[in-house]
Amino acid sequence: MIRFEEVNFAYGARSVLRSVSLSVGFHERVAVLGGSGEGKTTILKLILGLIRPDTGSIIIDGDDITRRSESELRETRMKFSIVFQEGALFDSLDVKENVAFCLREYTDMSEDEINARVRHILASVGVEQALELMPEELSGGMHRRVSIARSLALDTPRMFLYDEPTTGLDPVNADNICGLIAELSKNGKGFIMVTHKVSDALKVADRFIFLRNGSLLFDGNRHELLNSDHPDIMIFINEVCIQGPSGA
Amino acid sequence: MDVKRTISDLQDFYSLSLHGLLGIAGRPFYFKDALLQMDYAGAGSVVIVVIVDLFVGMALSLQLAAELSSLGLKMYIGMIVGISVVRELGPVVTALVFTGRVGAGMASELGSMALGHQVDTIRVFGLDPVKKLVTPRIVSSLIMLPALTVIGVAVSLLGGYYIAVFVSHQSGTVYWTSIRNILTVENVLAGASKPFIFAYLISSICCYMGLSTRGGSVGLRQATTRAVVMSIVMIIVADFVLTRMLLYVLGFSV
Repeated sequence: MIRFEEVNFAYGARSVLRSVSLSVGFHERVAVLGGSGEGKTTILKLILGLIRPDTGSIIIDGDDITRRSESELRETRMKFSIVFQEGALFDSLDVKENVAFCLREYTDMSEDEINARVRHILASVGVEQALELMPEELSGGMHRRVSIARSLALDTPRMFLYDEPTTGLDPVNADNICGLIAELSKNGKGFIMVTHKVSDALKVADRFIFLRNGSLLFDGNRHELLNSDHPDIMIFINEVCIQGPSGA
Repeated sequence: MDVKRTISDLQDFYSLSLHGLLGIAGRPFYFKDALLQMDYAGAGSVVIVVIVDLFVGMALSLQLAAELSSLGLKMYIGMIVGISVVRELGPVVTALVFTGRVGAGMASELGSMALGHQVDTIRVFGLDPVKKLVTPRIVSSLIMLPALTVIGVAVSLLGGYYIAVFVSHQSGTVYWTSIRNILTVENVLAGASKPFIFAYLISSICCYMGLSTRGGSVGLRQATTRAVVMSIVMIIVADFVLTRMLLYVLGFSV
């Protein structure tokens, strides 16, 4: 269980999160929605301990990680796997080495075993043909898929964190990525997906959290979201009405 | 000037540089990363070090020939070139070249990784980014800068020889005898100890500046510039302090 208790966070003088309290189970499929600069990505970074809250507590599996040191945070971080907005692939390594990165660090697998595992993972996300390409040679959609593949290399993560996984992708690729995220969540591992696209969130998530001005404006299920009469949320919902919610 | 911020930055820098150095002693060892860095820092820098040090040696020899010929003391060119290059110019010039090529590369590469969330990814994977990224760069610098300095000094002496013999028409035997005479343990130690200190300073400063990059491409430019400028200033300051200490320790009178 991930628990935020009265979390406040600011980048310098700019307040990003204001008294945010929430709980998310590791098995849940959650979408964090909101406009740009509303603190969505900040929530993911706080969960991973990449940044620390100014006040308040973040409790993961009963452990308060708020003031943990870098070395103490490693065990907590291994419970998660994140796909950053731009993929964050290591640009000096090819696709194979990116996916094999954790296997080389944490397992004693032979080169043949690593090759087989990498090919299997890449095939499962539909980019096995990209094995020997460098990150700069990948399209936006392939980049995200390889990043997701890398996050699958180890079995240790209990939850996936996706930071704007469909931003910058064409509708077909965005739909494919959403399908992949939904497929991966079928094995009981939950996810938190940060996005400003309600249509994508509706395709994959069961629970929706809406941030506005750094505060929690809405926390509910699909039905409650679509029937909300809050004007800020309605603006986002209207986007779905115009585009047509394939998953709604 | 934000004093609190400056003190915090200095704390972070000392922590990173110490942690990066101590990383050599503990597992895991990133041999492959260190080898790749050594290839970039060492083999990739040989040509530029040879060119720069060759011309420094030739210019120094030329200046000395011009001054000493009027005094009838041209036979001392070898001795003065040798002492200047072995103790001072060789290590400092090579370190400056190393900063411009390797240090700037370290800062911009790590800065780009920091901006692209690659450093955060390493942290999320449960790895220590200092151990993974900084320690191999410190190790490669500690090995390759002294090696490059030896090459640079040798090439500078050859440049000095060329001017002394073919331009100033001095005896080559006298030149090399003078060089051999000044290659005492004290002189060699005075020059050989400096590259290790310079290497540690350059790699620590450039890695710290790179990893603390913020603010997109402008931030990357600023971080790289700061890394190079700070390294150059610290090389010059450290050179003076080291020279003063070494002259005292090795028993030279001033």
